[in-house]
Amino acid sequence: MTLRPEALVSERVEIEGGLSEAVEMCYQMGWTDGLPVVPPTEEKVLQFLDFAGRNPSDVIGVEPVRGRVITAEKVAINAVMAGCLPEYMPVLFAVADAMVKPEYNLHGSSASTGGSAPLLLINGPVVHKLKFATGHNIFGPGPDRRANATVGRAVRLMLINVLENHPGVLDRSTLGHPGKYSFCIAEDEENSPWEPFHVERGFSKEASTVTVFTCSGPWQLGSVWDGTPEAVLTAAADTLLGLNPGQSEVLLIMSREHQGFFKDAGWSKTRVREFLSQKATRTAQEWAAAQKAGPPELGKETEPVPVLQSPEGLVLIAGGGSGGPWDALIPRWGRGANSHSVTMEIDTSRMP
Amino acid sequence: MVVAGAKFNILNPTVEAIPDNTVLAKRPDDLNGKTVGLLSNGKRNADTLLDAVVSLIQDTYELKGVVRLNKGDPSRPVPKHMLDELLEKCDVVITATGD
Repeated sequence: MTLRPEALVSERVEIEGGLSEAVEMCYQMGWTDGLPVVPPTEEKVLQFLDFAGRNPSDVIGVEPVRGRVITAEKVAINAVMAGCLPEYMPVLFAVADAMVKPEYNLHGSSASTGGSAPLLLINGPVVHKLKFATGHNIFGPGPDRRANATVGRAVRLMLINVLENHPGVLDRSTLGHPGKYSFCIAEDEENSPWEPFHVERGFSKEASTVTVFTCSGPWQLGSVWDGTPEAVLTAAADTLLGLNPGQSEVLLIMSREHQGFFKDAGWSKTRVREFLSQKATRTAQEWAAAQKAGPPELGKETEPVPVLQSPEGLVLIAGGGSGGPWDALIPRWGRGANSHSVTMEIDTSRMP
Repeated sequence: MVVAGAKFNILNPTVEAIPDNTVLAKRPDDLNGKTVGLLSNGKRNADTLLDAVVSLIQDTYELKGVVRLNKGDPSRPVPKHMLDELLEKCDVVITATGD
């Protein structure tokens, strides 16, 4: 399929000059995230749509509250702007499809003062196929992580441009966090001692998936002194107690040095969840004293109230560098209850 | 550097809002004999604020009644059944958005 420019319906903005004039025009039009974008020429957008095998008018999803239609053309334009490669398009289609699901609550989560960002978790063969980073500096930038950086960025540009999620207007984040620029990681399935996340969600190991979570910024935590699972999780529990009780889902990204303790000791994910859930518990009186969720919500004062509504609410992901005793706890927006994470399969059939 | 005579197009990445043909409801001249609906967004103290507003109104007007509803989840639109109830029972509705 080779599309022609006439197939594109978006308004054209004429640029007189060269690349720098086009970059400036995108700033003037309010189309950026504050960083320069790749100007979305007709040629580049058609290249992306041709690779994906989609017509520009194909509807990828409709945001359910305000009825904004996300077409393949708009996904492609924002993907070009973010600096993506054409082969990233199926990932972005899956992300858009996930975010418009009513249970994800895209409008509420992106408008909230809570300032969360969509965290993308990539699983399956697509991780290697598209070279998503899983190791050192997993949340950070680098010349080797075009996939992580630009796929995450394309999602933010879609929120800004397709959903008008502008700060102070429809994005009422009090603070926000740096993940709002780009927040995309891949699980280190190769080195993990556990079953991959997408397999827990019911997908086959050979499937490629993306899961979208509404998340606050990562809280880095570490346990240095005692190389045991109990020590790692006791430190994690102490950090978890910084949240309000009643969390339905919290993420724990565990790096390789700590994973090794659990592998050596033979701890399953179930055992990790149960230990952490029991450790991260306070009485209702203690929660109230810490100004976390008023007493009427917590019941009797001496009743133990765990941070997690259930142990299964801990999402345990292997990721991060091979050295360094650091993990990351990532709280979810609205205690994970107002927005459910959604996992979608990625169509890799057209990828090289 | 502007390259003399060079022109090319870039594409607009935005989506426009769908035009809405909604018309504002006619406002009553006064609230005597009217039923006022109060729709809380579910945030802490929203009920207190709305009660204070209706109390001020009642200083001036003799209302027929007050209907109080709470949509519970502040991050989602009001459910249709609540909208239907407000339409059926109320002459005016007061709501607010905020934290």
